[in-house]
Amino acid sequence: MIILFLSSGLLLGWSLGANDAANVFGSAVGSKMVSFRQAAIISSIFVIIGSVVQGTGASDTLGRLGAVNAIGGSFTVALAAAIVVFMMTKFALPVSTTQAIVGAIIGWNLFTGNPTDATTLTNILSTWVSGPVLGAVFAVILYILLKTVKRKSAIHLVRFESYIRTGLIIVGAFGAYSLGANNIANVMGVFVPAFNLHPLDLKLLTLSSQQQLFLLGSLAIAAGIITYSRRVMEQVGNNIMELSSESALVVVLSQALVLFIFSSSGLSAFLRNAGLPAIPMVPVSSTQVMIGSIIGIGLYSGARNINFRILGEIAAGWILTPLIAGILTFFSLFFVKNIFGIHVGSKTGGAVPVELPATSPDPRVSEIMQYLILCLIFVGLITALIYYLLDRKKRIELKKSEEKFWKNMK
Amino acid sequence: MALFTRTTKDLILKIDEFFDNIDLGLLVFREGIKTYLAGDKESFDRHVQKVELLENNADRLQRSIENEMVTHSILPRHRGEVSSMIDLLDEIIDTIKSSITEFSIESPDIPASLHDRCISIMEASVSAGEELIPAARAYFKAPHTVREKLLKVYYFESETDTLIKDTIKFIFHDMNELDLAKKAHLRYIIHHIGNISDNAQKAADMLSTMAIKIMM
Repeated sequence: MIILFLSSGLLLGWSLGANDAANVFGSAVGSKMVSFRQAAIISSIFVIIGSVVQGTGASDTLGRLGAVNAIGGSFTVALAAAIVVFMMTKFALPVSTTQAIVGAIIGWNLFTGNPTDATTLTNILSTWVSGPVLGAVFAVILYILLKTVKRKSAIHLVRFESYIRTGLIIVGAFGAYSLGANNIANVMGVFVPAFNLHPLDLKLLTLSSQQQLFLLGSLAIAAGIITYSRRVMEQVGNNIMELSSESALVVVLSQALVLFIFSSSGLSAFLRNAGLPAIPMVPVSSTQVMIGSIIGIGLYSGARNINFRILGEIAAGWILTPLIAGILTFFSLFFVKNIFGIHVGSKTGGAVPVELPATSPDPRVSEIMQYLILCLIFVGLITALIYYLLDRKKRIELKKSEEKFWKNMK
Repeated sequence: MALFTRTTKDLILKIDEFFDNIDLGLLVFREGIKTYLAGDKESFDRHVQKVELLENNADRLQRSIENEMVTHSILPRHRGEVSSMIDLLDEIIDTIKSSITEFSIESPDIPASLHDRCISIMEASVSAGEELIPAARAYFKAPHTVREKLLKVYYFESETDTLIKDTIKFIFHDMNELDLAKKAHLRYIIHHIGNISDNAQKAADMLSTMAIKIMM
C-alpha cells in the first residue's frame, strides 16, 4: 500500500526529470554542443548522486512550510503537483516543480486548516526573486570572464569549442548534481515523515531510510529525463534566445552555482560561522535561475535577440503553476477524504513539523530497494557500453566511406 | 575525452594544411606563370604538376574537414559557414588549376610587350588570394583582426580589375598587329587570371560577416 501511495511522488519525480533536466542541459543540447543522448546519461547519473548525497538540506524547509502528516495527504499533494507539472511540460513550457509543490503544500494547509509558516514562505518566495537575479549576476560575470580569456589567449576556435564542450559536460554534471541535491525535496520531501526503511548496507556506503527514498525519487527523475525531456531541452535551448556555445556554458554554470548555494549546508554553516547571514536551504526553481541567467547574458549583449513573447508565456506559467497546484490539491484532498475515505492529514495547530509515529521498517520494501540499486548499476553499465559501441560504429563507417570515396576517385 | 582531443587536434591540423595548400598553390601559380613567360617549358610543366597535386590535396582535405565537423558535431553553430568558406577557398585553388592548365594546353602566345602587364595582373590577383589566407586563419584564432586583414584583399582585387581593364584596352586599341582571335584569346586568359582575386573577394565578404557574427 505504501508503495502505491509513493507512486504520485514517483510521477512528480518523472515530471521533474522530463521538465527540469532541460534547465541543466537544455542550452547545451539546444546549441548542439552536446547530444541529447550524452546529456540524458550524464544528468541521470548525477541527479541520482546529488539526491542521495546532498538531498536532505532543502527538504527540511518544505517540511516547515507545511508538515503533511498523513500518507494520503502526501500522496494527494505530490499527485496534484505532478499533474500540473506534467500538463505544463506537455505544452513544452519550462514550468517550475518547486512552485507546483509549494502551491500544493499551501493547498493542503488550507484544506486541513493548518497555518502556512509565513517566514518559510517568505524565504521560499524570496528565492523566486533572488534565484534568477543571482543567476543573471553570475552569468554576466562568467560571460565577461570567458570572453576575455578567449580574446586574450588567441585559442583556436575548434580547440576552444572542444574545451567548451568538455566544460559543458563537466558543468552539466555539476548542474545535474545540484538539481538532484536541491530539487529532490520537491519530489520526496512530503513522504519523508511517513517512510521508514531498514538502512541499506552497500559495503562502500550505507543508505539511510531518507536516502533510499531519495534514491527512488531520483530514479524516477532519471526516467523522466531519458523518456520525455528531449522536447523541453530543445525548447529551452532555442526559444528564449539563440545561445552561442560559450553562453550555453555560462548559463549551465551559473545555474548550477545558484542551485548549489541554496542546497549546500556546508556553505551556509561557513557563512554563519563567519558572522554573515546564512543562506536558506530552499528548493530553488532551476527554471527561473536558468531564465535569469539567459536574460543576464541577453541584457549584457544588448538584449536585441531576446524572445520576450516566450518569456511572457513562461512568466504566466510561474503565476499559474502554484495557483493551479494549490486549487487542484484542495479539491483533490476533498475527494480523497470524502469519497475514498482516506485520512489526508489533520490540523496541528502550528507550523512546527510533526513527527509521525515511527512505523516499523518493512523488510520487503528494503529488499525492493536493493534490487533497484542493482538494476541501476546494471542499466548504467549497459547504457555506457551501447553508447561506446554506437560511437565506435559511427567512426568506422566514416573511415570506410572516406576510404571508398578516395578509392573511387583514383 | 582522449578521443575527442585527438579529433580536435586532427581537425586543426587539417584546416591549417588546407590553408597551406591554397597558399602554396598561389605561390606555385605565380612562379609557374613567370616560367611560362620566360619560356622555360620544363620548369612550367613541373609547376603545373605541383598545382594539380595541391588542388587534389585541397579537395581531399576539404571533404575530410567537412566530414569530421559533421560526424563529431564540431562547431555546430558555425559549421555551415566554415564549410562555405572552405568551399570558396577551394574555388581559388580550382581557378588556379584551371588557369595554369589553360596555359599548358592552349599555350597562349603572349607578346613580349604584354609580359610586364601580365605579371602585374597575376601579382595583384595572387596577392589578393595570399592576403586572404592570414585573414581566414585569423577567423579561428583572433576574429577581431579579420576585418583589418581583409582590407588588403579588397585593395588587390580592385587593383587587379583596374590592371585588367587597362590591359584589355591596350590589347584592343594599341596592338593592331594582333588578329581578333588572338586578342579574344588573350582577353580570356587575362580574365581567368583575374578570377583568382574575384574568388578571394567573395571569400573575404563571407569572412567579414562571419567574423562579426562570431564576436557577438
